[in-house]
Amino acid sequence: MRQRGGLLFVMPALVVLALLIVFPVCYMGWLAATDSQGHMALRDNVAAVTGARATRIAVWNTIVYVGASIVLQLVTGTAVGILLNQAFRGRAVVRSLVLLPWVVPGIVAATTWAWMLHTEFGIVNQLLLQVGAVSKPVGWLVDPDMAMPSLIAVNVWKQSPFVAIMVLAGLQAVPKELYEAARVDGASFLGEVRHVMLPGIRDVLVGVGLLLTIWGLNGITLVYAMTRGGPANRTLILPIQIFRLAFDAFQLNQAAALSAMFFACTLVLVWFYVRLSGRREDRA
Amino acid sequence: MRPNWIARATAVTFTVVVALCCLFPFAWMALSSFKTASELYAVPPAWWPSAPTLDNYRRVLFASNVPRYFLNSLVISAGSTGLALGLALFAAYGFARFRFPGRRSSLAFVMAGQLLPTAAIIVPLFMALRALGLVNTYLGLILVYTILTLPLSVWMLSGYIRAVPVELEEAATIDGASRLGVLFRITLPLCVPGIAAVVVYAFVTTWNEFIFALVFAQDSHVKTLPIGLAEFTSEFTTDWGAVMAASMVMTVPVVVAFLALQRAFIGGLTAGAVKG
Repeated sequence: MRQRGGLLFVMPALVVLALLIVFPVCYMGWLAATDSQGHMALRDNVAAVTGARATRIAVWNTIVYVGASIVLQLVTGTAVGILLNQAFRGRAVVRSLVLLPWVVPGIVAATTWAWMLHTEFGIVNQLLLQVGAVSKPVGWLVDPDMAMPSLIAVNVWKQSPFVAIMVLAGLQAVPKELYEAARVDGASFLGEVRHVMLPGIRDVLVGVGLLLTIWGLNGITLVYAMTRGGPANRTLILPIQIFRLAFDAFQLNQAAALSAMFFACTLVLVWFYVRLSGRREDRA
Repeated sequence: MRPNWIARATAVTFTVVVALCCLFPFAWMALSSFKTASELYAVPPAWWPSAPTLDNYRRVLFASNVPRYFLNSLVISAGSTGLALGLALFAAYGFARFRFPGRRSSLAFVMAGQLLPTAAIIVPLFMALRALGLVNTYLGLILVYTILTLPLSVWMLSGYIRAVPVELEEAATIDGASRLGVLFRITLPLCVPGIAAVVVYAFVTTWNEFIFALVFAQDSHVKTLPIGLAEFTSEFTTDWGAVMAASMVMTVPVVVAFLALQRAFIGGLTAGAVKG
């Protein structure tokens, strides 16, 4: 391999990324440490943010939203991935259809589901009433106890296809001999799933799980468009709280302090992901 | 193998349920977009529009900002895709074909960029863009969208470039081609599927993006389609017919692009995230 010159090719991309990422991150540190007049106020900012009730609510909601979403996305996605790995007629068509929720804009998913989950005119309530599963319309997005589960469900609908397609790619890399060996040993389908498929895609699942966590933490579109953090802050997640602090309350320094803490937490996850992928590259 | 009809029936049922879950919202969006107001707000709702109407589309296309937003989206997505592709081509070639000091850490930096917590940097990015006078400009959005798409574009393309045999490039070098000549005349033509994958990925990502657009485009001459859609819903009385029609206008190009180019789409996606 040639040694020199590589840096020249890579440089433009690195410079653009550095300007657009490193500079704002440093600027965020500066904002978090000062007040609006530019005096040092790191402790005040941090105290104001950590002391606020909204922050504690947002942290808890974020954990619930991201945690529940990821578990359900991994389970649904893996099940669908295994299904798509079976040979059946029309598999190619089903595979394309399954990816649609993931391909469409998040805002379209949000508005369409908001319409379907509408308390009075939504088709979901209508179907449930007809079947007799509920006796009166459910306020999916306006009832404080229902809003979070509804958002999680929509999030699972939107992101599971990604898991499914990754699991499918992982399964196709599992050597055929392993299945044959399992069949010779008389393994049932569930036995194959447990002893051949799941071990074969473990790395994929860990990587996808980390990716989903990072995306979930950043995934503000669905929540912003469907509930804006309401009702009664029951779906207030951290990105929304940052957004409110900065652009509704104009507390830019406090918003930066909260951003910095949020950034540090996500960075830990990113570090794990990069290390994991690096290990995989070395092995390949 | 085992002619087990119970297993077969389970699999078929599961497939049908999965396909229905994925498709029904789009079908409902399409049906709703052709309904009149009285049918949209009927209790119980009508399944099928008894008098299909184009009124919702007329309101969206002729009495709102949506056409302008469509144009803005097109300009911004195309500009950002072009910029990301140009930068990514060179960077991917550098990473794939050279061993230079700092290669590993540069690569790690690019990858970390793909996972950047956008929600965390939106405040400082907004202030930086405001200081540079780039809020509410095409250029500002094109630049910030490059952060979103450049990392994975580099990643995807370098995989495709690595797959081109080095011997081809060496032969061309011996024949007297310059390094850039090799890149543009030998390597790139062999990476067309990879370039297609990057273009589709970058275009769809920027076309769909919502939060950056919400913050960095506050004026109607740069707002993008997702913001237009949110505007329909944010008023106190939501015009659901128009919302569904606008959703259709926004979704159809993405779905058509995806169905036409899905091989490139899925190939690039899995290459970027699984093979590493």
